[in-house]
Amino acid sequence: MNSSTAEGEGTAGTRPRLRSGSAKRRITTTVRRNLVAYAFLSPFFILFIIFTAIPFFWALWLSLQDGLLTGPKTFVGLRNFAQLPRDTITRTVLLNTVKYVAVIVPVAVTSALGLAFLITNRVVRGRDFFRALVYFPILAAPAAAAQIWSYILAPRFGIFSYILSALGIGDVLFLANPQLALLSIALIEWWRGIGFHVILFIASLVGVPKELKEAATIDGATSWQVATKITIPLMRPVILFSVVMGTIWAFQLFDTVFVLTQGGPMHSTATMVWYIYNHAFRYSQLGLAAAMGVVLLLIIAPISYVQMRVLGREVEYA
Amino acid sequence: MPRPKAARTGSRAWLRSLSLVPQVVLVYSLLALLVIFMIGPYLFIFGTAFKETYTLVSIPPRLIPENPTLENFRDIFSTMPFARWFLNSAVVAALSTLGTLLVCSMAGYTFAKKDFYGKRVLFMVLMATLMIPSALMLVPAFLVTNQLGLVNTYGGLILPGIGGAMGVFLLRQFIETLPSELEQAALIDGASELQVFTRVILPLAKPGLATLAILSFTGSWNSLIWPLIIVNSKGLYTLPLGLALLRTEFQVNYGATSAAAVVSVVPLVVAFSFLQRYFIEGLTVGALKG
Repeated sequence: MNSSTAEGEGTAGTRPRLRSGSAKRRITTTVRRNLVAYAFLSPFFILFIIFTAIPFFWALWLSLQDGLLTGPKTFVGLRNFAQLPRDTITRTVLLNTVKYVAVIVPVAVTSALGLAFLITNRVVRGRDFFRALVYFPILAAPAAAAQIWSYILAPRFGIFSYILSALGIGDVLFLANPQLALLSIALIEWWRGIGFHVILFIASLVGVPKELKEAATIDGATSWQVATKITIPLMRPVILFSVVMGTIWAFQLFDTVFVLTQGGPMHSTATMVWYIYNHAFRYSQLGLAAAMGVVLLLIIAPISYVQMRVLGREVEYA
Repeated sequence: MPRPKAARTGSRAWLRSLSLVPQVVLVYSLLALLVIFMIGPYLFIFGTAFKETYTLVSIPPRLIPENPTLENFRDIFSTMPFARWFLNSAVVAALSTLGTLLVCSMAGYTFAKKDFYGKRVLFMVLMATLMIPSALMLVPAFLVTNQLGLVNTYGGLILPGIGGAMGVFLLRQFIETLPSELEQAALIDGASELQVFTRVILPLAKPGLATLAILSFTGSWNSLIWPLIIVNSKGLYTLPLGLALLRTEFQVNYGATSAAAVVSVVPLVVAFSFLQRYFIEGLTVGALKG
């Protein structure tokens, strides 16, 4: 497909340049302009159709079918969607995912806000150093981060267990305890993802006009009042952007769960994407996997839409 | 004359900074905690990678190995095809990045600078795909790849990773800001459309391309779920897949997993230290990718 583009270009290039004049010539110019544009777009759109457009509609179609991954499938209408709520695992999976989102998003965003204020505090030298510092965990592949933390969180000889034992709390099974496993995953994901929010917030904090803060200080406002009444309200679009992105990612948690807990113990870390992966590629329940995918779409798409409409303009172009 | 004045303001500034001491102490202690929390896991795993096997489960846990050894690194390279996985990851990430740069820059340039029928509609379709969670496409993308006979091949690992609406959007934004006079001048001088693109636009778009390259490379280098479903022979594993399956398939210990994690992270850390600016720029645009 690349060669066809080059070919189209070659012939276009050898044609004599057209000057404005007769209507016929103008039409040829228009046609040529469009052909050049489509030639440039074609490599991208060929891949786009194969790996994005077709899979999207196929995903919707699959949710109305039942069958094996690569075998014959039968049309079952909305049966998969009717069956979803009856499945006890479905409820667990939805509940886990919502719980995880409800924990990680507020914690990550508020702690990131605190850290951004800390790093931009006027007594701090070397802001760039700290900005690079919070970026480091982002570099780790989720699979690598999971391996790193599996040793830190290991029972008995892990560093966390050691500290907690030293404090007299005793041995803690972070990943083997159904009460703690999801929270432990959240801790790892917090470590890996916090830098994103902090870096956004630092950029936004630096952009808040000094005069506003100074004026408020002269009027006798405390630094807490300046932060809550002036700075944070001005950061609202960025904070909302952060919340939305954090939510979208949190709903798609998979890698860390796959490496560390495989959804266990007792399905306490089973998430929606974990459900999709397992039902499609392990349990041969293709229809249920596809239906869960559509449920995920119905959650994520409106959130992204709001982000693109309401926030997109304010943030992207900043 | 200026001297005593400087000394006076100096001492006043000194007095003022004295009143800041409690704040400085508080802020820097919190920052120290932050440093420990962000870098600590890396240091810990780095130390562990050089530990002898029998010291792995020592209580209390040690940060610095007593007798540093390369045993763990030797292990991962000799008991499993780790070098192959590293190479696979590098090839897959490099080729999908090159492909992404090529197709996205061509499309981004066209959306930024050309007029054609259906421009608005096509662009809206592209933006709409940013709202689709990638997990929805997991199964059908597998089926498409299967139809193309690309399951368990390099093609299957690389091709679906090329492109992405995000890349087009990023480069369109960037190329839009370039002055149009340069292309027009080149066209009047008799350059072909392709020459304008490769000789005028691409060199000017380098910062945008660098940002997209980093976004695309790190995305591919760290990706787990796609290789997991598309590849089943161990010779085609990528690093994250190997890392994920180390303990289930290879029964290795924490020393080996630590060494493997170190090997997987080091290339990105090195790249980051040279290209920090582009990494941080990519962070905010990359965020748009649902």
